[in-house]
Amino acid sequence: MSAAIETLDLTRRFGRHLAVDAVSMCVPERAVYGFLGRNGAGKTTTLKMLLGLIRPSAGTARVAGIDVAGDRIGAARRVGALLEAHGFYGNLTGRENLDLTRTLLGLPAGEVDRVLEVVDMVEFACRRVSDFSLGMRQRLGLARAMLGAPSVLVLDEPTSGLDPDGIADMRRFLKALPERTGATVLLSSHLLGEIEQTASHIGIVHEGRLVLEGDLARLKADLAPEIALRVDDGARAAAVLRSHDLSLSEQGGELVAQLRRGDDHDLACAGLNRALVEAGVSVFAITPRARSLEGIYRQVSSPTPPRLEPEIV
Amino acid sequence: MLAILSVELRKLNRSLALVLALAAPSLIGIFIFFNMMRGKAPMPWEMWLGSSTAIWAFFMLPMSVTALTALVAHMEHGPRSWDHLRALPVPRWKIYAAKAVCVLALVAAMSLLNLAITYGAVSAAAAIKPVLGPAGDPDLAGSLMLLGKVWLAGLLMVALQFWTALRFASFVPALTLGIGGTFFAVVATVAKAGVFFPWQMPVNMLATEAWRVNTALGLGGGLGLVVLILAVAHLGRREVL
Repeated sequence: MSAAIETLDLTRRFGRHLAVDAVSMCVPERAVYGFLGRNGAGKTTTLKMLLGLIRPSAGTARVAGIDVAGDRIGAARRVGALLEAHGFYGNLTGRENLDLTRTLLGLPAGEVDRVLEVVDMVEFACRRVSDFSLGMRQRLGLARAMLGAPSVLVLDEPTSGLDPDGIADMRRFLKALPERTGATVLLSSHLLGEIEQTASHIGIVHEGRLVLEGDLARLKADLAPEIALRVDDGARAAAVLRSHDLSLSEQGGELVAQLRRGDDHDLACAGLNRALVEAGVSVFAITPRARSLEGIYRQVSSPTPPRLEPEIV
Repeated sequence: MLAILSVELRKLNRSLALVLALAAPSLIGIFIFFNMMRGKAPMPWEMWLGSSTAIWAFFMLPMSVTALTALVAHMEHGPRSWDHLRALPVPRWKIYAAKAVCVLALVAAMSLLNLAITYGAVSAAAAIKPVLGPAGDPDLAGSLMLLGKVWLAGLLMVALQFWTALRFASFVPALTLGIGGTFFAVVATVAKAGVFFPWQMPVNMLATEAWRVNTALGLGGGLGLVVLILAVAHLGRREVL
């Protein structure tokens, strides 16, 4: 699978502040790539460099194989963007707003109707944008990003401010986009649940650095599962588990043992249970916990992380 | 470039810019009308058209340019449209150049409207009070020529206001500059140094001394064009964070 977006050591400084630190990311074609990170982690700065809105201090960014710094206009022809600030003219209707962008892109008039249909906004298009709800603005923004059917869509927090129904609609829509249009979607968010349910690939950025990237399904499958234990004597149980060379943590009053990658889950549970009982520990519950995106995220973006090389899965 | 210009015109068409373009010259026309109505004896066309051009050049033009450039800039600053516009596959300088062309075209249209409304106001007053009707024919060609020079001499002022309004997302710097410039243009209209002051260059087109006219025209028009080109280039190249 070739890359729709590729960056190499992409870096951006604002004075003494290093906002993006040597980010090398690869978004495969027709992927829905969730770009995760807390507020201020460097997501929007990275997206702005991909769109040629700001220049990198170092490194390169390529969109559909085109170097953004070398040929901004060529790269921009391949990209449609939905940015945090929609930039709609409130005194114009939805259709008029789209038509302004269509004119600037030199597209035929019918293109506006096509994208309005895609986002299911035809019946609202003649209303002034100032009367639109936030959800309608997001959909209109998505329609505008799709004008000219670009091969890459860059969406900055597309579910921001949407109600639960709107989030669910947007999730379904984005998930189906690569199949429907052949486009690659790069969406930034800090909502782990949304990304987990929408993205096929993820990249996690923390303090400007890309700390994890890969195919989400493989990432989750490859990482070792965890077992949560509820016991009568946590200290004694911890000593027993440590003797089995397991990593332990305490979460919500439970002991969580991280199994080694490749361990047989059932055998491990049975073995631990036996060892604990033999050591006189009463075991109330043993619950398998599949590694979630949230767990992965917490691990790689802890407040004081070690200097990590990006893990490619 | 025509596509970008048409987009800018469509945006302006639905904004309050046209109201402003109509209101400013109308105010001068209203003033001329009532000023004429309170007169006792007829005055020549030259006096009324000259007064109108003078009011336009030393006060209404700088104020209109301040308001117009702020309005054009705020069309994008307000909804934070810059990221969208600047991410499009269009040379950025063309977006700014189209805005500058629109501002200059609107100022030119307002200048013409000023002449037309003044002509209408004087004719209306003369129709109501025939005794005040100005004798002879108005020198419309001469007035047009003078307004053209005023427009040209105002180019440097337009360039400075345009850059300030588009550079800063807040309208305060542009309004402060415009109000300050107009204030000094009004309180020091006859100052010799005013010929070098961008907000006074237009009114210097009415000076009787040729050097003042030529200096203000050369600086306002020539330097103004250079500054406008530099402003467009700078705005197109700078990062909007």
